[in-house]
Amino acid sequence: MFHPKKASSMNSPMCDSGLVLTTDPKPRLRWTVELHERFVDAVTQLGGPDKATPKTIMRVMGVKGLTLYHLKSHLQKFRLGKQPHKDFNDHSIKDASSLELQRNNASSSGMMGRSMNEMQMEVNRRLHEQLEVQRHLQLRIEAHGKYMQTILEKACQTVLAGDNKSAAGPTLNFPTLQDLNMYGSSDHLHHQSMEMESFIDKKRSTPYTGKSPLVWADDLRLQELGTASCLDDQIGPLSVDRGSDIDSVSDIYETKPMLSGGHDHKKYDVKMDRPSPTPPRTVAISAGGMRSSPFG
Amino acid sequence: MSMVMDLGFPSFDYSTTTMTAASADEGCNWNTWSPVVDWKALSGDQEDFQNLIDSMMDENVVLHPIDQLEETEEEEEYNNLSPEYNMAEAEDSKGVRLIHLLTAAAEAVVGPNECRGLARVILVRLKELVSPTDGTNMERLAAYFTDALQALLDAASGGKHPLGVEHHRTDVLAAFQLLQDMSPYVKFGHFTANQAILEAVTHDRRVHIVDYDIMEGIQWAPLMQALASRKDGPPAPHLRITAVSRSGTGRRSFSAVQETGRRLANFAASIGKPFSFHQCRLDADETFRPSSLKLVRGEALVVNCMLHLPHFTHRAPDSIASFLSGARTLNPRLITLVEEETAPPSEGGFLGRFMDLLHHFSAIYDSLEAGFPMQWRARALVERVFLGPRIMGSLARMYRARETGEGCSWGQWMGAVGFHPVNISFANHCQAKLLLGLYNDGYRVEELTSNKLVLGWKLRRLLSASIWTSQDCDL
Repeated sequence: MFHPKKASSMNSPMCDSGLVLTTDPKPRLRWTVELHERFVDAVTQLGGPDKATPKTIMRVMGVKGLTLYHLKSHLQKFRLGKQPHKDFNDHSIKDASSLELQRNNASSSGMMGRSMNEMQMEVNRRLHEQLEVQRHLQLRIEAHGKYMQTILEKACQTVLAGDNKSAAGPTLNFPTLQDLNMYGSSDHLHHQSMEMESFIDKKRSTPYTGKSPLVWADDLRLQELGTASCLDDQIGPLSVDRGSDIDSVSDIYETKPMLSGGHDHKKYDVKMDRPSPTPPRTVAISAGGMRSSPFG
Repeated sequence: MSMVMDLGFPSFDYSTTTMTAASADEGCNWNTWSPVVDWKALSGDQEDFQNLIDSMMDENVVLHPIDQLEETEEEEEYNNLSPEYNMAEAEDSKGVRLIHLLTAAAEAVVGPNECRGLARVILVRLKELVSPTDGTNMERLAAYFTDALQALLDAASGGKHPLGVEHHRTDVLAAFQLLQDMSPYVKFGHFTANQAILEAVTHDRRVHIVDYDIMEGIQWAPLMQALASRKDGPPAPHLRITAVSRSGTGRRSFSAVQETGRRLANFAASIGKPFSFHQCRLDADETFRPSSLKLVRGEALVVNCMLHLPHFTHRAPDSIASFLSGARTLNPRLITLVEEETAPPSEGGFLGRFMDLLHHFSAIYDSLEAGFPMQWRARALVERVFLGPRIMGSLARMYRARETGEGCSWGQWMGAVGFHPVNISFANHCQAKLLLGLYNDGYRVEELTSNKLVLGWKLRRLLSASIWTSQDCDL
């Protein structure tokens, strides 16, 4: 299905690995029938286009000269069902495309007959929609986090200003992270608190004057971690590599400084001057264990 | 004291024990359902009874299946086993013992007046065994149920039912944050409702949402973002939110809601979203009057009713009913309803619902622990601020409704009153699944009916989000 339009006019040299690279100034890989078949086989072996990753496909296919880059883009196309022959989806030129359909059907591994093709189109459509949903979900969670932050910051300011008149209860009962034992052992916390504090101070301009700054730092840390965890976890499922090691929010509370230092993406700007949240791909997560975004 | 009780006790399968039904004409038939204690001897005076309870409390007593009441030999054998096994067994058996005690207390509370004394004694013993901040899930849970039953007893014998401690604001916030991070509970309801709303108003320029319990307004931030960045339909639709507020002070008062409105307005401004906020006051008895709502022609009306944690709306079913039926008269485009999945009153009476509630919260506790096994303090905070009061309130409501034995879930009520279900879209279902994927594996989502998504933990259904409309035409 992803065959080049001019399959017959291949006059490019064959290299040792059997890959066909064109003589274009930019060396591009030609996805031949056989190569594509191997690709589809590998993907099916790995459990489908959702589960397979460029790395694992590369390993399974075992084709020399095939790079991650090639596989990444091909896999993306495969998933989105963006065939070079766009007229598959256009019913008005059914006749013209039916020939091509047949040709492609015959050569795609395992795809025989029109109905299978339609099924695959439907699957591709669904996959596409799913990707959309993922993207939207990420943005929404981000917005959620941003808003949560405004609540917590407001609360911080109010209490900092000495306004304790809300409700009954003992003296300022703000649970610090030590109390909540969010980080397991205390020396763990200590180490982390030092890192995070410097991180907080670096990134924020909110004035903490005296009055147990650790408490507020803790709280904002909590917020930071809370929202950061959402985002980080989002990158997990969105990424092509499904072997994510961050798949539960609990990791955030238990792991160490993976969130500190390396965070150069400030998603939740205090002043919120970004009119709209940035799309996921530009978020640079350099913390350990993160893979690159699948979108490029 | 004479133990004459008619226990139409339904049979349950709860953990490892089976309780059989008691025939109505035989007095107190507790002997057949509680394997630990020889209840027949209960007709003695207080002292004897105390000893009986003591024997139950004895740590060496091990639970065995219902037909074995003499177990001295087995006990010896048991004590020779390895300590870890002993420990785990002991913990399990303690858990089951607690359940037995709780059930016994619950029965006594709703029984005739003579049993109140029994109930009190059981509760005293329970309190000695459990603490809300210490011990296993079951123990902490039992502590809250004990308190709730105690409150029922106090109210029944003439005292006033405590409305619950008003927690310190910072506690509430911290617990709120934690609850959202530790489980998909909050987000599931909000996001599902939001997605349905988005789909319903794709071609509208003006959207008006009436929110029954806006709290901090957290549900609307993602919706605003989604509306502001939507690709199809008129761009930058105007969003108007009317929040229902109550008289008095506290989290749902006029001023608190005003604060929320301000915050939402700031957020909307930050993302360039046209927005306006209003309030609509409930009557003193929390009845909703549709006429007090300000409507604008040409706007799409959406009614949002969130009844799950951490919304504290379990106290006022009449208010909710008035809200929903009042909403119906306004002919809204969409009604979103999220509620807890607990057994309706028709099943098993008070005791049945009690067990069901126990089961329900046990699942919630488990789900929190599964995600965050080490952070028990954080969980204890969430339990104290949100779960405990909810247990208290739910039990109180169940107790009040025990006589009538009617009632159903709000979802069923909606259908009965004449609302039409609206299908959950593929995208919505997909979003829910993705959301759950961010949390622990044990969560699952199922599409119970075409208009209802249910969040569950392992085998237990926790929350349901359902979508309705009052308009006859298809959306």
